[in-house]
Amino acid sequence: MGPWRFLISRGGQYAIVLAVAISLNFVLPRLMPGSPLALLAGVEPSELTPEEREELISEAGLDQPMIVQYFRYWGNVLTFNFGTSFRMNEAIGDLILERLPWTLLITMTALLLSSLIGIALGVLAAWRRGRASDVVSLNTMIALDSTPSFWLGMLFVALFSVTLGWLPSYGAVTPGAQLAPWDAFVDIAAHAALPILTLTILSIPGIFLTMRYSTLSVMGEDFIRTAQAKGLTNTQVLSRHVVRNAIVPVSTVIALRLGFAFGGSVVIETVFSYPGLGRLVFEAVSSRDYPVMQATFLVFTIAVLVANILADLLYPRLDPRTRT
Amino acid sequence: MKRIYRRRSWSTIVSATAIAALLGGCAAGGAPQESGGPSPDAGASSAEIVRMANFGQEGNITPHTYETATGYNLLGLVYDSLLQIDEAGVPQPWLAEEVTTSEDGLTYTMPIRDDAAWHDGEPLTAEDVAFSFTYYQDGPPGRFRTAVSNVESVAVDGETVSVQLLEPGASFELRTLAELPILPEHIWSSIDAPDEAPFDESTSVGSGPYRLVESDPGTSYSFQANPEYFAGAPTVEEIRVIQFANDAGAVAALRSGEIDIITRSVTPEQVPVLNGQQGLSVLEGPEYVTTLLAFDTQRAPFSDVAVRQAINLATDRELLVSDVYLGAAIPGNAGWVHPESPFYDESIETTFDVDAANALLDEAGITDSDGDGVRELDGEALEVELLAVSSNALRMRIAELLAAQYAEIGMRVEVASLDQEAFDQLVWPEYDVAAGRNYDMAVFGWSAPTQADIGQMGALVDSDPTLGNLNITGYRSEEADALAAELRTESDPEARRAVAAELQALIAEELPLITLLYPNGLYGHSSDAYGGWTSITGQGPINKLSFIPADARP
Repeated sequence: MGPWRFLISRGGQYAIVLAVAISLNFVLPRLMPGSPLALLAGVEPSELTPEEREELISEAGLDQPMIVQYFRYWGNVLTFNFGTSFRMNEAIGDLILERLPWTLLITMTALLLSSLIGIALGVLAAWRRGRASDVVSLNTMIALDSTPSFWLGMLFVALFSVTLGWLPSYGAVTPGAQLAPWDAFVDIAAHAALPILTLTILSIPGIFLTMRYSTLSVMGEDFIRTAQAKGLTNTQVLSRHVVRNAIVPVSTVIALRLGFAFGGSVVIETVFSYPGLGRLVFEAVSSRDYPVMQATFLVFTIAVLVANILADLLYPRLDPRTRT
Repeated sequence: MKRIYRRRSWSTIVSATAIAALLGGCAAGGAPQESGGPSPDAGASSAEIVRMANFGQEGNITPHTYETATGYNLLGLVYDSLLQIDEAGVPQPWLAEEVTTSEDGLTYTMPIRDDAAWHDGEPLTAEDVAFSFTYYQDGPPGRFRTAVSNVESVAVDGETVSVQLLEPGASFELRTLAELPILPEHIWSSIDAPDEAPFDESTSVGSGPYRLVESDPGTSYSFQANPEYFAGAPTVEEIRVIQFANDAGAVAALRSGEIDIITRSVTPEQVPVLNGQQGLSVLEGPEYVTTLLAFDTQRAPFSDVAVRQAINLATDRELLVSDVYLGAAIPGNAGWVHPESPFYDESIETTFDVDAANALLDEAGITDSDGDGVRELDGEALEVELLAVSSNALRMRIAELLAAQYAEIGMRVEVASLDQEAFDQLVWPEYDVAAGRNYDMAVFGWSAPTQADIGQMGALVDSDPTLGNLNITGYRSEEADALAAELRTESDPEARRAVAAELQALIAEELPLITLLYPNGLYGHSSDAYGGWTSITGQGPINKLSFIPADARP
């Protein structure tokens, strides 16, 4: 089945998933306890008269029947009109576009680095299965896998920012600095360094473990013994036969992570006060900024779905056996 | 400057005089004391830049779109009001050269100073003042509509403004004249939807010591000094406010030299860390913030005054101060008012006596008949739920300690943690006490303005939901209503003090709420970067006074 036919047959399924996700996206924030009134009113909601309360609520469209709000929401989704943030009085589309590049900068870099390192270490550990280096790296990875990200992030801040003073501890750029292009680049890189480092280190174990087990299982196959019997060198066996086969399950893991990369990391962006989408979501949730919550969740949903489609498309190319 | 060491042992109830002595005799505010730290010298009295770490959901900093209490203080850098509170929290002439009140307390006449100008060079006139009142009253609904709700009319005669009130308002100077940002008519007369007006030169023109030159809500703001300010050129060239997502990050940035002050209190355990680092210190001073135990007084068992009194007696406030705040708080006064307040009545006693509490419950017939250590009321075990906000570790700890303390009087307390919005929804639904409440007990807090204006004490207990808009415990009593009414209108200082004292006595006796403690302000800052910090009593150093020359302060 060619990719186009595939898309058409799967398209229907994806459309249904998307429709359900978009509807859930409308329902979930409204199921949360709490009211956006404090946010609409500012500091002292207790001082509002009943008329002012009504005015604020109706301005935000929250007094309409649920069903009306729901259809309005669909209309907005279909026209990509996400509305205005309750809090920031800024068009949400702009807000997301402003935050997304920062998130992608740290998540994509970390995804790339952790994939390369995780795959390399995974193959190496599998090749040296049972030896000291495998045991050490396996245990280290399992320990890292259970490390809380906020804790590691704070540890890095304490070390690299407070004690050594090498790297900035917060933000994406030095606020207010007017820098030449090269200096601006260095500034952005320095600010992104700690978030990327933390994210990379914490993302390696997943890739490493998948790669290691997948390599091990490939190495037990008959065709590997055949390859070795043919007189191929270890390097040739590894690169031509083992890795090419073992990378298939890992590619799925990476493709899915690609989708989640758009969501950024709520925890990391909070620890480093990094102005990405993750922090936007966190703030929107804690202040019940419904329009922002809906728009960002929608972006995540679409990103994850697209990543799934990519994985579906990629799989047959990597593994001809799955071509139908 | 004499160096004062931080004192840790506030384990006894500290009287107002003892605190005054501790703070170097400046009971009425004044320069906050460096509470330890390795650099005894105050920092420079001027600076190129001060970088502040701020938190929370701040919007554009205009009179219509700021969001938080710090946002309001920052607004005060850009705008002026007719009166300005001094270090003791007392309103003093500012844009108004003086205030004359008519015999009946209904007319306020104020000549406007002639040397004030807007940032764009236009002079600030009495017309602007009158316009501002009208705009807040009849314009788009905003933050200051309640503050002008008692205004009947505003008249301009030359450079003099007179404001006519509907009824005498004892808090009018503090809550309106000293709070209302005066707007430039030539700019705001054409703004119909201030919430949607983009941030630009046109919406950020004020008359204050700073001009907001850069605004990126959620990330950072920049304020540039206005050298033409009528009270003198500001002491700091640029104030840069940076929005942080978490406390620990701000403390780290302070320690790494990336910021110069944190706009809200650090947690008590961070104080020794900051004081221990060269060039950093913590400004500690009493603050009008109140942490209290709220309960639904219309729901059993709290509807019984004996139960409320027993809970009050069983509350070990000093333990909360020493264990949770490591001494950096003042034990609560059963009569609500902070010991630093000029309205504090020192004859009110706050007692901790578990035996007396038990005796009181026995007497009320609430006894433990089945011997399981929990009393019964009408056959039901005395079990209640205590709510606390999960993100506030200090309040969570208070809730846990209280649960243990109340077990001593045979009350079983289950602590439940909730996120802020969910908590508010139960304790203060829709932020409207008329909407009722749905909780047993909660560790709650009121911010500084609630103590700064003694008139607000009435709002805590008044049974009318409009007048008692802070009455989250659903308390009702005719006596309290009468005292609250007096407090609203009585302007004579002596008579007002007497009414406030009566209401304190009533609160201490009837206990519509249990005042637990008043956390001190703990402002971590770089003493090397800037030393001009000036605290307003009970309200901390993040305010206009910290940035204008010492001799120009009111």
